Amino acid sequence: MTAMALLHVHRLSKIYGGVPVLDRVDMDVMRGEIVMIVGPSGAGKSTMLRCMNRVEDPTEGEVVVDGVNMAGEVLNGTLVADTSTQTAAKRRKIGMVFQRFNLFAHLTALDNVAIGPHRVLHKSLQESREIAIQLLDQVRLKAHAGKRPSQLSGGQQQRVAIARALAMQPVLMLFDEPTSALDPELVGEVLEVIRNLARDGMTMLVVTHEMQFAREVGTRIVFMDGGRIVEEATPQVFFTNPKHERSREFLRRVSRVDAEPRGAG
Amino acid sequence: MGAIDWGVMWYAIPYMLKGALVTLQISALAMVLGSIVGIICGFLLLSELTPLKWLVRAYVYFVRGTPALVQIFLVYFALPVIGIDIPAFWGAVVALGFNAGGFIAEIVRAGLQSIDMGQTEAAKAIGMTHRQTLQYILFPQSLRRITPPLTNELITLVKGSSLLSAISIYELTRSTQLIISQKFTPFELYALLAVFYLIIISVLSKISEYIEARLA
Repeated sequence: MTAMALLHVHRLSKIYGGVPVLDRVDMDVMRGEIVMIVGPSGAGKSTMLRCMNRVEDPTEGEVVVDGVNMAGEVLNGTLVADTSTQTAAKRRKIGMVFQRFNLFAHLTALDNVAIGPHRVLHKSLQESREIAIQLLDQVRLKAHAGKRPSQLSGGQQQRVAIARALAMQPVLMLFDEPTSALDPELVGEVLEVIRNLARDGMTMLVVTHEMQFAREVGTRIVFMDGGRIVEEATPQVFFTNPKHERSREFLRRVSRVDAEPRGAG
Repeated sequence: MGAIDWGVMWYAIPYMLKGALVTLQISALAMVLGSIVGIICGFLLLSELTPLKWLVRAYVYFVRGTPALVQIFLVYFALPVIGIDIPAFWGAVVALGFNAGGFIAEIVRAGLQSIDMGQTEAAKAIGMTHRQTLQYILFPQSLRRITPPLTNELITLVKGSSLLSAISIYELTRSTQLIISQKFTPFELYALLAVFYLIIISVLSKISEYIEARLA
């Protein structure tokens, strides 16, 4: 492992009913990197993110975030697994944004963002709401603070979801297809927020089908297929001169799709 | 069958109102007890505390598998034998409360489990523990869904409280039986008794509909 890596992933695997959806993936991410994860559906991209913060339990492998092993503590060469409460505490350092937003349906935009600082970090309600207001302002939704998720557009909901994740002051942000469930005209506003985060130096892993965005904002492209990382390259190299046949095939196919009207997901 | 004796009904109404008050008191207290027990047990059924989970399962299994009348007899006749002696009124509240609690536990569990998985994942992702997720995210969202089955449980409880007549608690049914034994007018008074229950339960249904609409 590289000493400076913020995120270290080693032989991470997830096996469903004998099928390896994620197959011994290795990855190191430095602070400030913006890793764009691309590939066909079923490649294991989402599963990889979900195994990193243990929303899903990996079958095997190691994830170390900011020097902290996400699975437990290694004592005398053996891993002592964390309790679920310890895992919960470790997850705070990793923000996650979902394809379907998953805003808490019973709470206003403000309280969706404030509930983490309040209930998990045990800050006062007032302080938590002040943090929330500031973050909603950052994603330009201050005026909508009092609205319920059902009263917001998809793009607005996703921006609240980003603010909710940021409220926990994560060292790493995971985006799981953040714009795939959005109407085309709402994609831009969400990508803009992610772009601003990148500018502020946030370390991010973004699973995306927005190739133009991946190319412009990513510092590295990771192409996955069949549960494995097939190719890793700078955007410049990946989009102009990919090494692997499967990468080329994928790029040919998405460029065809991009030329047509956007389909679902 | 002769003419209906309206006079005896007027005579009975004040006594039956007193009985109805006892029925409502016991039902309300049992519902509060049952809700507390049921919510705690519903959470435990989904908790990671395996021994407690099995205890709750055994309790629910017992409540569902035995008649309420037998449970009432157990509290009223069997508990004093092992040294637990509580007044009849409170014994009734405990018996009906724990009966309701078993059913409410299942209602709460089903309500919590019916909430979209994405809510749980989002709660996990901001570092909430399992208990915090249940308490702050899933339970508030399940309230609206569990209101109708909870109302059914309350209606069952009010009707079931007539079983308490078997242990000489002067609730609505027992009060009516007492007057019948004095006046020998079973038709008029049992009919009136049915009307009393219908009115009580209609009012409770209306209140529940109102609550459900407010939670929307």
